[in-house]
Amino acid sequence: MKRVAYVLGLPVVLFAAWYLLSAGSESFYAPPLSTILESFGKTWTLDRLGTDVVPSLLRLVAGYALAAVIGVAVGVTIGLNRRVRATVEPVLEFFRAIPPPVLVPVIMLFAGIGNGMKIIVIVFGCVWPVLLNTVEGVRAVDSVQIDTAKAYGISGPARLGRVILPAASPQIAAGLRQALSIAIILMVISEMFAASNGLGFTIVQFQRSFAIPEMWSGIILLGLLGFGLSLLFRLAEGRALRWYHGLRDAQRRS
Amino acid sequence: MRGLTGLAGLLVLVELLPRLGLVNDAYLPPTSRIAAALGDELVTAEFWQAVGDTLMGWAIGLVIAVAAGVVVGIAVGAVPVLRAATASTIEFLRPIPSVALIPLAVLLYGTDLGSTLLLVVYAAFWQVLVQVLYGVADVDPIADETARSFRFGTWARVRHVLWPTALPYVFTGVRLAASVALVLAVTAELVIGAPGLGKSIAVAQTSGAVPLMYALIAVTGLLGVAINLAARAFERRTLAWHQSVRGEVPA
Amino acid sequence: MRRVFTGIATGVALAALIGSAAACGSSGGSGGDTDADGVDQVKVGVIPIVDVAPIYLGQQKGFFKNRNIELTMESGQGGAAIVPGVVSGQFQFGFSNFTSLLLAQTKNVPIKTVANGVASTGEQGKDFGAVMVKKDSPIKTAADLAGKKVSVNTLKNIGDTTVRESVRKAGGDPKNINFVEVPFANAPAALEEGQVDAVWVVEPSLTQVKAAGGRMVASNYVDAAPNLSVAAYFTSAKLAGEDADLVNRFTEAINESLTYADGHPDEVRAVLGSYTKIDEKTRADLTLPKWPVEINKESVDTLAKLGAQDGIFDGATPDVAKLLP
Repeated sequence: MKRVAYVLGLPVVLFAAWYLLSAGSESFYAPPLSTILESFGKTWTLDRLGTDVVPSLLRLVAGYALAAVIGVAVGVTIGLNRRVRATVEPVLEFFRAIPPPVLVPVIMLFAGIGNGMKIIVIVFGCVWPVLLNTVEGVRAVDSVQIDTAKAYGISGPARLGRVILPAASPQIAAGLRQALSIAIILMVISEMFAASNGLGFTIVQFQRSFAIPEMWSGIILLGLLGFGLSLLFRLAEGRALRWYHGLRDAQRRS
Repeated sequence: MRGLTGLAGLLVLVELLPRLGLVNDAYLPPTSRIAAALGDELVTAEFWQAVGDTLMGWAIGLVIAVAAGVVVGIAVGAVPVLRAATASTIEFLRPIPSVALIPLAVLLYGTDLGSTLLLVVYAAFWQVLVQVLYGVADVDPIADETARSFRFGTWARVRHVLWPTALPYVFTGVRLAASVALVLAVTAELVIGAPGLGKSIAVAQTSGAVPLMYALIAVTGLLGVAINLAARAFERRTLAWHQSVRGEVPA
Repeated sequence: MRRVFTGIATGVALAALIGSAAACGSSGGSGGDTDADGVDQVKVGVIPIVDVAPIYLGQQKGFFKNRNIELTMESGQGGAAIVPGVVSGQFQFGFSNFTSLLLAQTKNVPIKTVANGVASTGEQGKDFGAVMVKKDSPIKTAADLAGKKVSVNTLKNIGDTTVRESVRKAGGDPKNINFVEVPFANAPAALEEGQVDAVWVVEPSLTQVKAAGGRMVASNYVDAAPNLSVAAYFTSAKLAGEDADLVNRFTEAINESLTYADGHPDEVRAVLGSYTKIDEKTRADLTLPKWPVEINKESVDTLAKLGAQDGIFDGATPDVAKLLP
């Protein structure tokens, strides 16, 4: 009961504040919340969820999954090899610092204007936190652990799967979590170019056609979506890293 | 040194791709032409003005975000009731893509520095806040208990127990926020048209000045590298005493 | 304590959201700042493209200063970014194409046009915007665009409605054209790489496509209406009501600039170099639009009709009289 109050308390207060403050607002661009909520129901019908939200989500999932796989794979390779790391790190930092929207036209050149382009934009933006965190995580693996594994003759894939990846996993999870919010941003950005459907496209379209309450309802939906996804992520992380959180709690209590 | 090899490799690759006809050089010009465009641009006052505008938006936004993130993070993190009460709100607001705020930014600030700042602060604030919250949560309960038993006041505990523990996390947050802030500053300029490198990129793009566009993109990348290097150097110097505790945060 | 912190915590985000209501109510919206000498500081939201050359030229020539207007150009990416700025009073005036303005009108956005912006040349094959295909494309006339993939810079706007009209006039069926959104600047590459069958582009991208060997299949602005008015300068209804004097002076200055630009194409090509990065050769080659002073009302009616026909206005009918001065 108390937990529920904590979770819902502040959002309810803020929402109420927004509702009351905006009631009777005459400003064209900041309509009353009641109007926005009304248009929320009208705008995001099942039909629309199917035609706009689902394609966006599919691209998001595809891009995010690809980024995770590439990020971890490349990150482990780089993290384990000092020479490779020294060589490519500046290049990686360079690409990471380039804002993804400016790269969209370049990516379009190579990947066309279909779903592939949008997925690549997502991958390109959110691979960096995964990759760099994996590198850091792999580098920070306890050398005693590695030596022990070596001494027991554990090598190759077994060492990677049993020792290195688990040890680096909290760090990788940190990267994956950062990547998730970036992926959502890029889902929206990629749909600002050459799109004909999608949540980001729809919001931009509302903005351009001056359908302001609908635009706000889209922003709220984006927030809900991000919230839902990060909740899912937390659940997954909690399960996968149960040992780690347990360990930390134990260390703390002792 | 090796890092330079990597960058050199990239330059060679971009020179060769169009020269060998693998991509059309009208759309991806070779490095030499990009460099020439950059050379022409470097001598103009306009260019430096744009770099200055971008850095200004970046710096002001970052300072605001860091200050707000640290204050709010410590306040919220140190009071369990507050932390519980705000957790869901933070989780809700954090993933709202800052680009969704673009219309709002234009509405409030037009295409001035203000709209860049709104986006930069919004995006960078969460990076700092979340790291500070982790840092505060990492405070050793025994140290805290000890401080209490010595009858340290709230302020003294924040100053001597909480802050030193949270500091490495704060730095990680600042470093992450510094890169995000640059990305958002340029994005805002690009999409909204606020003055800065992003706007120059947009103008080059609509004018069909392709080599210049790539040159400016490269400049933003280099700025990012420079910011990252500076942040790391600063972190190392300030936290030299803290090396043992340091390490990336399992966020 | 607690309330204070809660406030700060969410302040960054929600204060912006909630506060926008208050901010919009209070943020002036009147005619810029007037200093002691009676000079008005005026901000104009423009898109940095060929179309707005006259205002830059007029600024250089002092047409605005003569009328006690100190002009600052603020660039926005498209009308959607400029209209909110004008409505909220961040800009006193803005530049946008007529379809966007009509769209805003159907949603009762409080704006009013104050001067013509830019117009089509009205000459087939010699306009500043056109539908282009590759040299060896099987598309020979606008009618062949039916069922093809055509790029426009913005969906549900002036590009697709006028292109549909070109197809209709050529006897084709515009219903199945697959419009995709590609920024003008990227359209030449998209055409070259075969990602689209045809592109609708305006200058300077048009010159770029021509240089790459593209072939013109339609002058969509010319097909839509004779001497089509494409875009206009506008202001908020509030400013129009409160400071008619400033609006009049601005309109006079713009009109003088338009006339001057129309009579001095070489100076227009030169001024383009000051606010765009279009190279000198392209500047010399590109087709300039026309800058008549009068808004061609019939052509705006036509745009309204075409938009309604294509379902751009969501079923509403724009009230052209309410929008025009």
